[in-house]
Amino acid sequence: MKHLLTIFLIAISVSMSVQIHADNRIPNLGDKANKCKDDECKEVHKLPNISRTQSLVIQRKMHPEFLLHKRDRTLRQGVRGGRASLAKCVNCHTSVDKNGEYIPVNAPQQFCSTCHKQVGTSMDCFSCHRTTPAEDM
Amino acid sequence: MNKLNRRDFIKNTTIATASVTTIASGISLTTFAAKSKESAPVTNEKRWGMLINVNKLTESSIDDMIDACQEENGWGSEVHSRAEQKPDWIKKVKVKDKATGKIDVLPMLCQHCEQPPCVDVCPTNASMKREDGIVLVDRHLCIGCRYCMMACPYGSRSFVHENLDNQKTHMPRGKGTVESCTLCVHRVDKGEIPACVEAVGGDGVIFGDLYDANSKINQTLKKIQSTQIRSDLNLNTGVRYSGI
Repeated sequence: MKHLLTIFLIAISVSMSVQIHADNRIPNLGDKANKCKDDECKEVHKLPNISRTQSLVIQRKMHPEFLLHKRDRTLRQGVRGGRASLAKCVNCHTSVDKNGEYIPVNAPQQFCSTCHKQVGTSMDCFSCHRTTPAEDM
Repeated sequence: MNKLNRRDFIKNTTIATASVTTIASGISLTTFAAKSKESAPVTNEKRWGMLINVNKLTESSIDDMIDACQEENGWGSEVHSRAEQKPDWIKKVKVKDKATGKIDVLPMLCQHCEQPPCVDVCPTNASMKREDGIVLVDRHLCIGCRYCMMACPYGSRSFVHENLDNQKTHMPRGKGTVESCTLCVHRVDKGEIPACVEAVGGDGVIFGDLYDANSKINQTLKKIQSTQIRSDLNLNTGVRYSGI
């Protein structure tokens, strides 16, 4: 019976991790994020007290909330810095084309549009926000 | 095989469920608590203002201010807009005294009123005043009705008529929203001065905290005679002029 319980718990944890990895269907992370190998880069989305993988799941699911919350605090209260920043997203998740020019992050097959097209939601961020990293970044 | 009775099974399952719940609630708690190195919200202990000494400004120095503003905030390169549709965050205004014929040229920008009419009329609360007196448009909420452009006595707001790209990272701008001088809020929050003030240099334009008794703007305003444009409207502007 105890073995049965152990097997049951293992099965749950395996199915959870499978679910986590099944969520990993983003084909184009952008050049800088794809090349990311060092620890500092990998820790970008890491939340305190949670594993890196779980942090990524939360980041994927809740990025609109993070940005929405931060945008109001920045614009209305002048709170600068902190974790959530659309400029930081764009900085790592854009790709460079054959001519060495940045491709807008919301262009077809690029980071934002792959998922957003799949789930049929439109973004309004980039009618105002810059779609490529700033020159000095 | 060590048999597990019904009671033990229930006990173990309860402990497992409880621990999972604890961890899960911890996740959401730490998610919302996670913030690093954020600056504190601005307060009404400060009020940013600008003193423009018209006597010390020439037409070319006003042009320098306009160029610096365009460069800093990325406006002025609209190609599809007609002349009257193009944005004007800061413009050159000539005023003539009819009696004497004296002509003054002055830079006209958002006056960052204490009682801003643009904020009063905004139906979506997009037009807003920060605690430190800087009047801004929240483009996330702006529906482009242009009531604020009608309400502003200084004509300092513009509407973006065309699709834009390659905006500045610190200054998002887009079609269908209203915009105006932000007093270079992204620079002010970093402790820097607005681009136009930097472009003039010297005492031509002074930027600072109106409430701070030690600030240059406060001390200068105590000494010299200055005026608020359309002071009859009692808007208590943050931008003051001297020499007109």
